[in-house]
Amino acid sequence: MSTVGVLCSWRRSCGAALVASMLFPQRAPAQPALVAPPPVSASQRVPSADAAPTFNQHIAPLLHSRCGACHRPGGAGPFSLLTFDEVKRRAAQIAAVTGSGFMPPWKAAAHAGGFVAQPRLTADDVALIATWANAPIEGPGAAPAPPRWPTGWYLGTPDLVVTLPANYTLPAEPSDVFRIFAVPLHVNRRRYVTGIEFDPGNARVVHHANIRIDTTDGSRRMDEADPSPGYDGLMARSAEYPEGHFLGWTPGQIAPLVAPDLAWPLDPGTDLVVQLHMQTSGKPEAVRPRIAFYFSDVPPSRTPSILRLGSQGIDITAGDGHYVIADRYTLPVDATLLAVQPHAHYRATLVRGTATFPDGRTESLISIDDWDFRWQHVYRYVEPIRLPKGTIVAMHYTFDNAPTNPRNPQVPPQRVRWGQRSFDEMGDLWFQLVADGDADRERLRGDVRAKMTAEDYIGLETMLASAPDDTELHDDAGVTALALGRPADAVGHFRATARRQPESAPAHYNLGTALTQAGLFDDAIASYERAIALRPGYAVALANLGDTLASAGRANEAIRRYEEAVAADPLLPEAHNSLGAMLWRRGDLDRAERELTRTLELRPAYAEAFFNLGHVAVRRKDIKTAVTNFRKAAAASPGWPLALTTAAWVLATAADLDVRAPFEAAQLAERAASLTGRADPRVLDALAVAYASSGRFDEAVQTAREAQGKASGSLAKDIAARLAMFERREAFVDQR
Amino acid sequence: MYAGNATSSRRICGALALAAAMCSPVVAAAQDGVRDLAGQPARPLTVTAGTSATVLVFTAVDCPISDRYAPELQRLRDAYAPRGVRFWLVYPNAGEAPSAARAHAGAFSYALPVVLDPLGTLVDVAKVSVTPEAAVFDAAGRLVYHGRIDDRYLDFGVDRPVPTRRDLAEALRSVIAGRPVEVPETRAVGCAVVRTQP
Repeated sequence: MSTVGVLCSWRRSCGAALVASMLFPQRAPAQPALVAPPPVSASQRVPSADAAPTFNQHIAPLLHSRCGACHRPGGAGPFSLLTFDEVKRRAAQIAAVTGSGFMPPWKAAAHAGGFVAQPRLTADDVALIATWANAPIEGPGAAPAPPRWPTGWYLGTPDLVVTLPANYTLPAEPSDVFRIFAVPLHVNRRRYVTGIEFDPGNARVVHHANIRIDTTDGSRRMDEADPSPGYDGLMARSAEYPEGHFLGWTPGQIAPLVAPDLAWPLDPGTDLVVQLHMQTSGKPEAVRPRIAFYFSDVPPSRTPSILRLGSQGIDITAGDGHYVIADRYTLPVDATLLAVQPHAHYRATLVRGTATFPDGRTESLISIDDWDFRWQHVYRYVEPIRLPKGTIVAMHYTFDNAPTNPRNPQVPPQRVRWGQRSFDEMGDLWFQLVADGDADRERLRGDVRAKMTAEDYIGLETMLASAPDDTELHDDAGVTALALGRPADAVGHFRATARRQPESAPAHYNLGTALTQAGLFDDAIASYERAIALRPGYAVALANLGDTLASAGRANEAIRRYEEAVAADPLLPEAHNSLGAMLWRRGDLDRAERELTRTLELRPAYAEAFFNLGHVAVRRKDIKTAVTNFRKAAAASPGWPLALTTAAWVLATAADLDVRAPFEAAQLAERAASLTGRADPRVLDALAVAYASSGRFDEAVQTAREAQGKASGSLAKDIAARLAMFERREAFVDQR
Repeated sequence: MYAGNATSSRRICGALALAAAMCSPVVAAAQDGVRDLAGQPARPLTVTAGTSATVLVFTAVDCPISDRYAPELQRLRDAYAPRGVRFWLVYPNAGEAPSAARAHAGAFSYALPVVLDPLGTLVDVAKVSVTPEAAVFDAAGRLVYHGRIDDRYLDFGVDRPVPTRRDLAEALRSVIAGRPVEVPETRAVGCAVVRTQP
């Protein structure tokens, strides 16, 4: 039962989720002033039938609350709209842009429960402005004082402020410029982030910011490779949302702080990655945003999950004015929706997201009729939306690639495929969901990850269709195929890279990894040996070669390669773990324990090492120690059914009554059963044993029958024997 | 350059205008209240010898769309000034201070002569309503084009990454070649000109 793991490929950090994540309030938050227009009283708004609206009584309260956050001295708007003189000057224009819906800038149709920070004008408001603009009267009395906006950060005194290391000089043209910056975040211990606030610095040109974190040096290296501040192109794959949270900024939007129980962890060594979308002003501009961080010291009790719907197979012919994509997903657990974020590029026109509840009722989640690439809002619900298990969330977007679409970046239009560059197309709808408990969350996370990874692979294939020689794309496709459990496809992609880069050691290493998973051990061994020949002392290749030799039944060679890996890189925990597991298999328990203990010194929460240590203890008949380690394995990796099941089994069946813990065993096994969708007979077997151990024989019988129905061979026989015991109301005790 | 008064007319037949084969009377339009940055009266529409066309470009100190055209206007000036086209940058908004206009023109590196039009005289003559908007007068001083610089902006929030038609440049080519301007009037998108003194 050793876990001989294949190391992650070199392009991605081990254990990094493929799933990106994101930031929102759990319930109607205390809104910062910028994003919370105060209500305007009816007496202020509605002039009596015969009286003309006046600035002091009707217009000022409206404009102060709905427009003033940006249109004030120092605000993001190009001019101030606070005083009578300022507003009268532009009365006709204000009437025009509010009438057309261009201002305030908000693309989505109203949602029944309301969106956080929506600067809405009602139809009555717009009509009032139009009436006043025809006869702009100041009116009797004095104008109300404008609201007092904070002079510093809206969210309060930050715990950390990060500033770009130097000014970026934005040229006078062209109109849209994208630039990515990687900035180190100096924290000396793990902090829990309840929110960030983005200060664009030069609000005239910074139009929106995509914000990610990078726990690798991937983004930093790309930034450093460009001599001026930041770099052009695409964000590194290692730049991700913190799990469960959206980060980003659009003018007028500041995400409120989340409740501390929803904070996200920030570890030392993490970089902040900021992609600025800038609209040039017509002259060179200095740009240097600042980002404020707000911390909590309490570890969060809940982590949201991010679901992405969309299509990465987009392929629109030139001139097609109505191209449609659609996607849907059925929630496997109950969840609460906090926010959505639509994403598309220039050619999208119509954006729709819906939820169809188990009772058949359908509700709009987001609806935008005139998509504008420049307004990448996150839409947070004032009242989070309850989505029961079985709810179908769906999206459909339309695209216009006709020459008559003025936003088409290509003149004349070209065939356009899915891709992340701005002239490619994308169509995603992101959901921020909170499941009710850890087990549901793991279930949701695993399910969502599988769905999104499958779509990622489609996207990589789409990009490879137009760039078949791009080895980075092949590498990404190979890694993604492995994550999907499609090693044969991974072999194809890594072979494509290795053929184009025959002198690249990582290329052969990757190919070896995929070949191992495909069960082609001889070819895999040859690939690893090639990688090691090209790069002597290539520790991860030596460790993986050891794994492959072990899988091929060549234990002695495996141990020799592990030892070489440990010698080449004494700090590589995977090599120590694999060596420990192999030594356990050979019965060399003392050395195995030393290697596994060393593994845990190098990586304290390494679930597999705890798991392997547990098995060392089982072999020594030290069930107490075994239980301790299996518990730690389950705690370190709560989504790993094998660790949960093994811990449950030992806790339920231990002959030593001091060790036996039937209640905990049932809990762990229930979680494992939920994670595996009650489809794995071994997990159900452990659950039945745990129920019997707790004296819950009826449930034990029922669960054992369920297990029996899915089992075959010797397992089926074992289960049948246990079922007979449970029917006699006898628990099962493991005498090993 | 202030020869004549607002209503005087005289014959101007600049060398480049000969191609037009018509040497019509020049009616210098009203230019009341137009001032340069030093506060002196200015007459941008008074045609001088060697002028093939006069372009008024209306702008403002606080209009983002106008500002984004600064590089394009420099290019147009560089291309057409050597061919006898005189460009003027006009700040028409009521209440625009000369110091603000000077600072703004400097910040955007405009190498065009600047005038203020606080009474809106030029706005009326040029038939413009927003900034940025352009007006072209031929060698005879007649308004032959007014409207957008190009078709980049279709509306607020709707703009093309690159223009598909450069209307001002088209008009200038026609005038220089002595042809009628094909599309003499277009709709400009921008910030409404402020007419009343607050």
